Amino acid sequence: MVIDPAHGGVDLGARGTEGIRESDVVLQFAAQLRRALEAQGFQVLQTREGNENPSFDDRSARVNAQRGAIFVSLHIASTGLAGTARTYSLADFPAVLETTGLIPWDRAQAPFTVLSHKLADMVQAELAKRFRGSPPTALTAPVRQLRTIAAPAIAVEISSVSVENRAELDQMIPGVAEAIARGVADFRPSYVLPAGPGTSGGQP
Amino acid sequence: MSPKWRVWLGGGLLAAVIGAALYFPALRRQVYKAREITEKTAEQARRELLPPAPVTSGDPKVKAKMFWGSKTEDGSLVPITVELPLSKDPVLRAKQILNTLLAGPVDPEARTLPPDAALLAFYILPDGTAIADFSEALATAIPSGIQSEQLAVDSITRTLEANVPQVQRLKILIHGQEVETLAGHLDLTQTFPVSTGAPAVPARSGVSVLTAPIQKAIEKVTGATKR
Repeated sequence: MVIDPAHGGVDLGARGTEGIRESDVVLQFAAQLRRALEAQGFQVLQTREGNENPSFDDRSARVNAQRGAIFVSLHIASTGLAGTARTYSLADFPAVLETTGLIPWDRAQAPFTVLSHKLADMVQAELAKRFRGSPPTALTAPVRQLRTIAAPAIAVEISSVSVENRAELDQMIPGVAEAIARGVADFRPSYVLPAGPGTSGGQP
Repeated sequence: MSPKWRVWLGGGLLAAVIGAALYFPALRRQVYKAREITEKTAEQARRELLPPAPVTSGDPKVKAKMFWGSKTEDGSLVPITVELPLSKDPVLRAKQILNTLLAGPVDPEARTLPPDAALLAFYILPDGTAIADFSEALATAIPSGIQSEQLAVDSITRTLEANVPQVQRLKILIHGQEVETLAGHLDLTQTFPVSTGAPAVPARSGVSVLTAPIQKAIEKVTGATKR
């Protein structure tokens, strides 16, 4: 499992009127999620552990170096009904091969979109149970970070940095961590690597 | 020094003092004026240089469908019909439509695009790919987030789809440049499908999604905005 607390460093992400910064809050969500996933027996890595700001490609490289990884990017929105959560994956797009037979880096997600949709739906189902007002199914959006991930990849966005009190977001941390960990655990048995150039597919 | 020279020197100095007293206030006014001009942001300067919205009195009024945000905070869009004088030329029509979208709805809470954002240029390529070049405010003033950025792009693409059928897909530039994301989340290196059935075209291997015609059009836009 690779957890991606989005933004960091000079990139603060979404900022609320009460001084809430997305880049800080996602680190706390990531820490709790890590514990929940490790309790499920997953080996967990993070794209950042402190206030660094790796590039999109650096974050992708960390995931793509692991065979059979699962990627979850964590975000806090500026908008949306407070106390809700949404899961996104990329819409399907064709996996065009280079003349070398390799999948271009910029299309690394293409062979994995079906798996990503499945993972996203499983995670969103768990989030919807815990956070009223959240959509019952996952959504698709062209999230830049997901495009270069060669693994099932989702982005989870929590609403929002606009809450009047930071405690409202903190209260969501255990539920979000539990929901994602449960969704990922439900997804794991169906995770079969797609066959592709240089890989035979099969279990991660 | 002879008395005659003293008179000449004294007279010259007096004339210089009088000349300076008359000239300095005018010079100061000019300096203040120049400072005011340089203090204007590039954005303000660009707005002043931009031609007014291409609405001509000869364009017939038609019912246009604009997609602004709903009040439910769920990230959905609602169609609102407004009567606008719209050109039959697809490029002019798209500019009129997008300027109306940018101007925003009556209810500011339903706004999907920042009020300071401006459309700088718009082109339609022969294959139906449109290129819309927006000012930096579109990226810097939009609320950061997947939901809010997608709402902004969807409001643009769905409004174009409803009113300018010639547009198949859309490439968004910021100040004449291709940028990686809108405000940290949504991928702007791709083109967005506008008409039903037009697939999104993500970036190709190596650099970007830019095909030769799109690249050429961007150069045209960049050249135009630098003038």
